[in-house]
Amino acid sequence: MSRAEERLARVALCRLSEPGDPRMAGLVDELGAVAVHRHLCAERDVGGMLTDVAARLADLEPEAELERAARAGIRYVIPGDPEWPAQLDDLARAETVQDRGGLPLGLWVRGPQRLDEIAGSVAVVGARSATSYGADVAGDIGAVLGQSGVCVVSGAAFGIDQAAHRGALAGGGRTVAVLACGADRAYPAAHKQLIDYIGEHGAVVSELAPGCAPMRVRFLSRNRIIAALAGATVVVEAAVRSGALNTANWAERLHRPVMGVPGPVTSAQSQGVHHLVRTGAALLVTSGAEVLEVVGKPGEHLQEEPRGPTRARDALSQRDTQILDAVPVARSASADSIARTAGVGLVEVGSTLLRLHERDLVARTEGGWILGAAARA
Amino acid sequence: MPFATARTITLQGALGHLVDVQVDVSQGMVGTTLVGRPDAAINEGRDRCRMAIQNSHFTWPATRRVTILLSPADVPKSGPHFDLAIAVAVLGASGGLLPEALERTLFIGELTLDGRLRPVPGVLPMTMAAAARGLDRVFVPEPQAREAAMVPGMVVFGVRSLAQVVAELRGEPLPDAPPVEAVSGSRLLTWRGESRVEEVDLSEVQGMSDARYAIEVAAAGGHHLLLSGPKGAGKTTLAERIPGIMPDLTTEEALELAAIHSLAGLLEPGDDLLVRPPFSAPHSSSTRASLLGGGTGKVRPGDISRAHCGVLFMDEFPLFNSDIVQALRQPLESGEITIGRGDETATYPARGMFVFACNPCPCGNYHPSAVVSTCECPELRRRDYRRKLSGPIIDRIDITRHVEPLSRKDTDDPVAPDPESSAVVRARVQEARERQRERYRNDPWRTNAQAPGPLLPLRWPLLAPAARRLDTDLYAGRLTRRGASRVHRLSWTIADLRGLAVPGIEELDVALRLRTGAPLPLAAIERQAG
Repeated sequence: MSRAEERLARVALCRLSEPGDPRMAGLVDELGAVAVHRHLCAERDVGGMLTDVAARLADLEPEAELERAARAGIRYVIPGDPEWPAQLDDLARAETVQDRGGLPLGLWVRGPQRLDEIAGSVAVVGARSATSYGADVAGDIGAVLGQSGVCVVSGAAFGIDQAAHRGALAGGGRTVAVLACGADRAYPAAHKQLIDYIGEHGAVVSELAPGCAPMRVRFLSRNRIIAALAGATVVVEAAVRSGALNTANWAERLHRPVMGVPGPVTSAQSQGVHHLVRTGAALLVTSGAEVLEVVGKPGEHLQEEPRGPTRARDALSQRDTQILDAVPVARSASADSIARTAGVGLVEVGSTLLRLHERDLVARTEGGWILGAAARA
Repeated sequence: MPFATARTITLQGALGHLVDVQVDVSQGMVGTTLVGRPDAAINEGRDRCRMAIQNSHFTWPATRRVTILLSPADVPKSGPHFDLAIAVAVLGASGGLLPEALERTLFIGELTLDGRLRPVPGVLPMTMAAAARGLDRVFVPEPQAREAAMVPGMVVFGVRSLAQVVAELRGEPLPDAPPVEAVSGSRLLTWRGESRVEEVDLSEVQGMSDARYAIEVAAAGGHHLLLSGPKGAGKTTLAERIPGIMPDLTTEEALELAAIHSLAGLLEPGDDLLVRPPFSAPHSSSTRASLLGGGTGKVRPGDISRAHCGVLFMDEFPLFNSDIVQALRQPLESGEITIGRGDETATYPARGMFVFACNPCPCGNYHPSAVVSTCECPELRRRDYRRKLSGPIIDRIDITRHVEPLSRKDTDDPVAPDPESSAVVRARVQEARERQRERYRNDPWRTNAQAPGPLLPLRWPLLAPAARRLDTDLYAGRLTRRGASRVHRLSWTIADLRGLAVPGIEELDVALRLRTGAPLPLAAIERQAG
């Protein structure tokens, strides 16, 4: 069984079955692609698949298929190829979701970006019905990731996906788009310019053969590829029924980190993400820098703890604070009066006031002591 | 009985009252009486007119009692432009002119002692008022002939001297006279930023798709807008481009605007009707008089009136004086401003679109992320700053948008579509305006923002699910009644931009987001861009 035979068999099987069909994946795993191909072409039933694929047997021309694809700049990458991304192999062991799963037979790829160089990539996905807030955040995250050399993987869909791709490109980074149609087509059509650009500078990837149309169920199988190619997944905006949650689900099954960007609690577009975070399925992130902290090597990209501004009063001891709080704001008071208000002995109050005076926290007037400039924030 | 009447106009703000100058010349104690609440300038006109008549080689009835009545008697009258009317009425009553020659004619002009005319501000609104009352001829100082000619249906005589007026009325050839100088003195109030606004275009602005959509909706329906964001976010850039996406003024609007310019003493002899909507950007240190109107002496229109039918941009809005901010309630709500001084009140139109810009704090550098913020303002100052925007003013602002400075994803995006030009957006705004014009053809208002609140649910209701949603928000206290009216109007503008006959729940959703400052769905913004 040469590689060429293997490749042709997989091309044929790819045409015969729907992507992510666990029966086909299982059969190929057990019997090998060439054997399965031979059986089906001889109209022998294997694994109950014959009835489903029978209608497509007639037009199989895997060699011509490969040639046509090559002319269109599309290559077919299969397990065992040097370019085959090892991280996809996790799919073989993961359970199905909504009847889709398993290792892909192969991936059709258009573009210079090699799939074996994106192990540390991050998938940025989210709602099609995104808001401008979500699009902005996705774009900024994409730009930060791109600038840091992390590849951004997404589905080129409306809303979050396209914003993430464009952010990565704007950041001068790399991006990979996984489509639910053939890699020679652009879906959605409105993103043709973006997808073609990615095809020239990154990689457009599909489990479906060139020319295939996007159909509803193919989006679900596509999502698992996105989750499996990337090292981690970030969901930016997702409504309760968003397809992005399906991608997050896959990432979890594949034991990849899942992150979510929150939004206003009144926003329907953020409720899916909030649910993920609440149930512990996703880690909350608010910026590209925080994403890098999660996916980077330990100790890399560490984020500072956010702090409010420090004020002069903050550095005082408990005792000093007790005394300073007793110093009036509007009208000055004598040291006696301050001592009484503070509940501290006069001698101690006296020396403390002198110390605080040095730091401008209290000021001396004719009538006594009053709060100083440094203490009036 | 030697009696004659000439007509002129007295202005109260932008409102003109027709004044009959009635002159009676008869036997009695020699002298000249002028009654009918004249102001000091008109009173002094007695001497001016007498000298002007004599020095023009006409006869002043020096041996008679001359009574000049300005009718109606109870309206306060002001302005030196009464001179001409008084002079011709006196001549008419004393045999120098046929009284019939003065009919259906308006006389405007101040006289010098040698009988020459001087220009006066406000010729256009005076002529408009006269035309509204059926007069069809007007005599004005020559430099202002063009101004008066802007009013359709008036025959305009631009004259240089009293002698020329009399000659024209008698049907004789006009004598020569030296030309009249135009309004002297520099412009009282400078018109900052006007020419710059004509050069800018929306195609120069990258990104900011959310804010671009907001200004399109604002322009289409005449809605007031608040842009908030840090320094350098592009608020001023965007505001300057709003007039560019507004359609040309209608003749009616252009006349109104020219009348205001005339009253402010800004209309030059060679000026044509302004066709492009005006842009006014007063500084936050402006005085009440320069912004709202007023001033010593005559009550002149302020910046907000000179932005009538255009855009008034108030940058760094919280830095404006509190009194001024509160006084904006009236123009924000009703499109006019009433200025009172003593017993003279003047009402000027101010139906421009208000665009407010504010920073998140006085220094402009505040950012919610503690890591990024370089703001040094004390908390108290920041609170005071934001408090200016509370309550009655914010309730009258239809659209609130937050803008952020551009980041790399906006400036370096290799597949970003070219930003639309102002002309493209203006075409859409124009269509939306035409739908409004059609809808309100039998009503006195022109845009959705002007439609009165109580009529909205009756005459222009939303589709049922949207109306229910709006009521729910209203009763839940999330919207005031005024706020609900504004959201209702916004929904109509959005529907107009989309070419829909009636606004539904989707349009209401976008309207609510525009009003509360919530992010817009991408689908709503991109729909515009085809």
